[in-house]
Amino acid sequence: MITLGHYLVVSGMLFALGLAGVIARRNIIIVYMCLEMMLSAANLALVGFSRFHLVHGLPDYTAQSLVFFTITVAAAEVAVGLAIIVALFRSKQSVDVESVTKLQG
Amino acid sequence: MSVLEIIIALPLLAALAIWLGAPAHATSLGATLLNLLIVLVTTVQYAGKAATGLAFTYSRPILDNPSLSFAVGADGVSLILALLTTLVMLAAIWQIQDRPAIFYVSSLLIGGGALGAFLTTDVFFIYAFHELALIPTFLMIALHGRAEPAQRKAVAWKATIYLGAGSLVLLAGLAWVVLEFSGGSKLTFDLEALRNQAKLTPLADAKQAQIFFVLLLGFGSLVSLFPFHSWAAPAYATAPTPVAMLHSGVLKKFGLYGLIRIALPLLPQGPHVEWVQNALLLMLLGNILVMGLVTIHAHRLDDTLANSSVMHMGYIFLGIAAGSDIALKGAVVLMFAHGISIALLFGLCGRMRNQLGTLEYNKLGGLATHAPAFTVLFAFGAFASIGLPGLTNFAGEVMIFVGSFTDFKAGVMSNLQWTVILALWGVVMSAVYMLRAYRNIFHGSPTTGLFMIDPAFSQRVPFIMLATTLLVTGCCPWLLLNLMKSAL
Amino acid sequence: MPASIILLLPFFSALVILLGHRQLKGAAVLISVGSSIIAFLASLVFLATDDDNKLLLPFIDVAHFHAGIDVLIDKQSRGMMFIVSFIGMLVHIFSLGYMKDDEAKPRFFGALSLFMFSMTGIVLAGNLIMMFIFWELVGLSSYLLIGHWYQKASAAEACKKAFLTNRIGDFGFMIGILLLLGANAGNVNLLDLKTAFESGPLRPEAPGYSAGFTTVAALCIFLGAVGKSAQFPLHVWLPDAMEGPTPVSALIHAATMVAAGVYMLVRVSFLVAASPLAAEIIAGIGCITALMAALMATQQNDIKRVLAYSTLSQLGYMVMAVGAVAMAAKHGHGPEAPDPGHPAMFHLYTHAFFKAMLFLGSGAVIYACHHEQDIWKMGGLRKHMPVTFYTFAIGTAALMGFPWLTSGFYSKEAVLDAAFNSGWRVLFIGGAVTAALTAFYMTRLLIVAFMGKPRTDSAHHAQEAPMVMILPLTILAIFSIFSAWDGFANSLQALKPSHINAPGEGHTVLIASLIALIAGAGGAIFLYRGKDKDPVSIKLFANKFYFDEIYAVIVRVCQDRVAWIVTALERVFVDGIIARLPSAIVARLGAATRMLQGGHLQGYTFLLGGGVIAVIYLVVFVLPRMGN
Repeated sequence: MITLGHYLVVSGMLFALGLAGVIARRNIIIVYMCLEMMLSAANLALVGFSRFHLVHGLPDYTAQSLVFFTITVAAAEVAVGLAIIVALFRSKQSVDVESVTKLQG
Repeated sequence: MSVLEIIIALPLLAALAIWLGAPAHATSLGATLLNLLIVLVTTVQYAGKAATGLAFTYSRPILDNPSLSFAVGADGVSLILALLTTLVMLAAIWQIQDRPAIFYVSSLLIGGGALGAFLTTDVFFIYAFHELALIPTFLMIALHGRAEPAQRKAVAWKATIYLGAGSLVLLAGLAWVVLEFSGGSKLTFDLEALRNQAKLTPLADAKQAQIFFVLLLGFGSLVSLFPFHSWAAPAYATAPTPVAMLHSGVLKKFGLYGLIRIALPLLPQGPHVEWVQNALLLMLLGNILVMGLVTIHAHRLDDTLANSSVMHMGYIFLGIAAGSDIALKGAVVLMFAHGISIALLFGLCGRMRNQLGTLEYNKLGGLATHAPAFTVLFAFGAFASIGLPGLTNFAGEVMIFVGSFTDFKAGVMSNLQWTVILALWGVVMSAVYMLRAYRNIFHGSPTTGLFMIDPAFSQRVPFIMLATTLLVTGCCPWLLLNLMKSAL
Repeated sequence: MPASIILLLPFFSALVILLGHRQLKGAAVLISVGSSIIAFLASLVFLATDDDNKLLLPFIDVAHFHAGIDVLIDKQSRGMMFIVSFIGMLVHIFSLGYMKDDEAKPRFFGALSLFMFSMTGIVLAGNLIMMFIFWELVGLSSYLLIGHWYQKASAAEACKKAFLTNRIGDFGFMIGILLLLGANAGNVNLLDLKTAFESGPLRPEAPGYSAGFTTVAALCIFLGAVGKSAQFPLHVWLPDAMEGPTPVSALIHAATMVAAGVYMLVRVSFLVAASPLAAEIIAGIGCITALMAALMATQQNDIKRVLAYSTLSQLGYMVMAVGAVAMAAKHGHGPEAPDPGHPAMFHLYTHAFFKAMLFLGSGAVIYACHHEQDIWKMGGLRKHMPVTFYTFAIGTAALMGFPWLTSGFYSKEAVLDAAFNSGWRVLFIGGAVTAALTAFYMTRLLIVAFMGKPRTDSAHHAQEAPMVMILPLTILAIFSIFSAWDGFANSLQALKPSHINAPGEGHTVLIASLIALIAGAGGAIFLYRGKDKDPVSIKLFANKFYFDEIYAVIVRVCQDRVAWIVTALERVFVDGIIARLPSAIVARLGAATRMLQGGHLQGYTFLLGGGVIAVIYLVVFVLPRMGN
């Protein structure tokens, strides 16, 4: 019997893998992919909650609609993010995160 | 409307006018001169009255709870200090030559702030006015100090941090005082109300000692009480001349004024509790003996003067530590005397630096030959700070010493009295460094040092004014004492 | 009324000269000399005034502390006032000639007036605070006058040294005043103090009396006199003070100011009398000074320095007499009836005349020899400057105590008498040896400078001094002879003791002093007659027992070196702990927190993740448990 717990564990592992990638990887594209993975983890969790939270015998569709919303926003974000990465590459000739330390002022 | 409000407002308005474009020299000089006259008339009026208690009081309520009002009022002590402020302000402004308007504005602000601190009777405004006066001091040291930009900024920062920290401690102490002595349900900042409450319900001695000590540290670091003094010497040596004159001569007296005006009346037993007294005596001995030796070691005139100014604070603290009526009045006289004499010396020192470009003793010598008037004026300041009778400092010092011996039992010396004897050795030390300085700068063959001639007569006037003040109040210290007829 | 004229006239003279010496020029001189003449006339009137103690001007008046300019008129002050204003006037007149060509004449006369004002203040002072005020002011005028030729490095150093050495004495004086003031409820009026010590709360029988306190107070006050009267160990400033113009040396550093210490001790003699130990120490210090200075004088070659050391030695005599009188009173050797006279004051009185005269005479010599001061470069001046020579010889005779004729003889006998009666034989022996040495070095001076043949051109071309300089010399010479006569001494209120060489004591004192005189003068004649250079050379005396060198080391080690160390410690510890340590801590903390903000995106993300985990942990595991 697959319970909510299984969904959440998978989602958590997915999230942790993504976070680890974001923190540890130096290639900004991989970082970006890991970021997407974290979003997927959130989506998975939402779907899982939707599946196990029955309202009048039906799954809770509010959560699923939120998933669709997230996917849409993520698609837009991919467009913007990749554009930023391309712009970054143009200015720095590199996709290494270490080359972008402007935040330290 | 009280005349004191005019006295406070005049320099601030003049500063505003100059900022708006009025001619700097004429405006500031006119305003200060007028202010000096008003203060003189007010002082004479006060002496003509009974010369006791607060006079010229007026209060403008600002907040109801906590009760806060812009209240002015003056007694002998505040009037003596107001007189000191206006005299030094006039001299400081008069001697400015070929400087941008900010010199005049800052002098007016420092002087106005000091006047406000001395003439208001509301703890909040006393504090606020002092802070107002400090800001231009820092700025002028940082912007127009007599050193490389990096160094003068460092000096300004040091003074800022020291005085800022001191002010914070002071604020804590004042808040404590206000909380303790407000009485009833409302907090009040009115000094008179606080004093009345302190008389009605005095605190236990131990608690008085704690509060007094906090106030002592706060006020003390504003007055360069040892060991919180190391900002003072570099700050005075670096500050532009009018700022050095005003800060060392006037603004520094604020801490002492606060102790006499706020701490002592509210916490009369504070300085007499043993641990506080011993701590105070140790610190003031640090001022006198340690700083005396440091001054002897100085190789530049500005260093000598700056350190000597720190040293002489020890005597005023001694008066406060003694706490008897004679000693406290002596402390006030010495505050006045020290303010005038150090302003005179710093003014002359600044002029020398302008003309000669250096104040190193080994590059100077024999100035007396070609600058006799300058020499005489300097001698007035130097001998005043040595404590020569006939100049005001002597009267103050002797009153402090005598005041410390009022409850003397033959054969039994208290700590205070031992301290006085050690402090007397400081008088010898101050003669050593002042006469060395005088010897190195003015005596000797004129060929041994750089060349300098007397300033024009109009430029001598401010210094002559200060020297005359020293002579007149030195020969007749009762002129000042008549303003303080009631016990402090 | 005469008191206030004598006091304030020179003050205004000094003030006027200070304010307008550029405009006044020659008039400044006239103002100063005129004021000194008027003050002298007033002091003659003053001799006839009654005893009084009145307030002249207020000064400080707070609570129970009253210190005014109040005048104590009694025999002591009237007599002293005459000495001061008389010699002051003569020196003013002499200076007209001596300082004729000096550029800074107005400054000189201004300072001279300031001195007259301050010295008058000391003489008239009715309380110790006022005494201290003018005590310091004579120090100032002495500083100004020694440093008159401040362009010379030696003069500049000398005036500084004089002021600082006196400051050390004043340190003690002030402590003494404070002690007395504390013990006598804020009252340091001389008369009241006297009452307090004789019959008031400070008398030995009073409850709470402390003998130690009286001794300490007396010694502290005495320290003031040690400074001003240049007693051992603070004597080093007086010889150097000869850098000043010679009239100044005559007035200030021989006749009046340096005698102020003795005068003050006599003024507070009730205090000295109250403490036997203090009296012994005072007499001892006086004896040491007298002997030591006389030894140093024997080997000096500068005419003014010889006189300076002789002054030191004579001041030692006076101080010894002050102590000896008090000791004699304690031992019961004193006169039965209280003697109105005082040997110290009497010696001060005669000494003032002949020593001022000797200095002015040496001034005339120096003037004639174009500012040559080395006696070995003089010689034969007797023929060129007869008046100066004869007056100088009279002065020398008086200083040596030439028997029966000169005033110096009587006063010296009085001092030796007091020493003889003190109970300490060593005082008397020291005094007699000093007398012999005095005779020796003064004869030496006279022979080398005035007798024989001129040794240099300047001595050869020396001419008699002008009239303004001769006149004061002659007047003082007359006084040097006659001032001890009863007629003079009584009308000038000189405090002459009534029992000099009283027949009951035998003639020990007289015989001893005669032997001393003959031995000293004879020895000098034998050694120096016809010599062109010093046949005796004693390095120790010529170098003044190396006091200057020792003090230089003490100052360097105990003051400058300590100052250096303290400055370094102050920088390291005070500045270090109060300022640099906190600032270092703050800087370190800042650097640590800065590391967290390196600008690395991934670092931020890591922190963010850690933060999220921490929040989740708190919310899930910690908070629910705390809720219960």
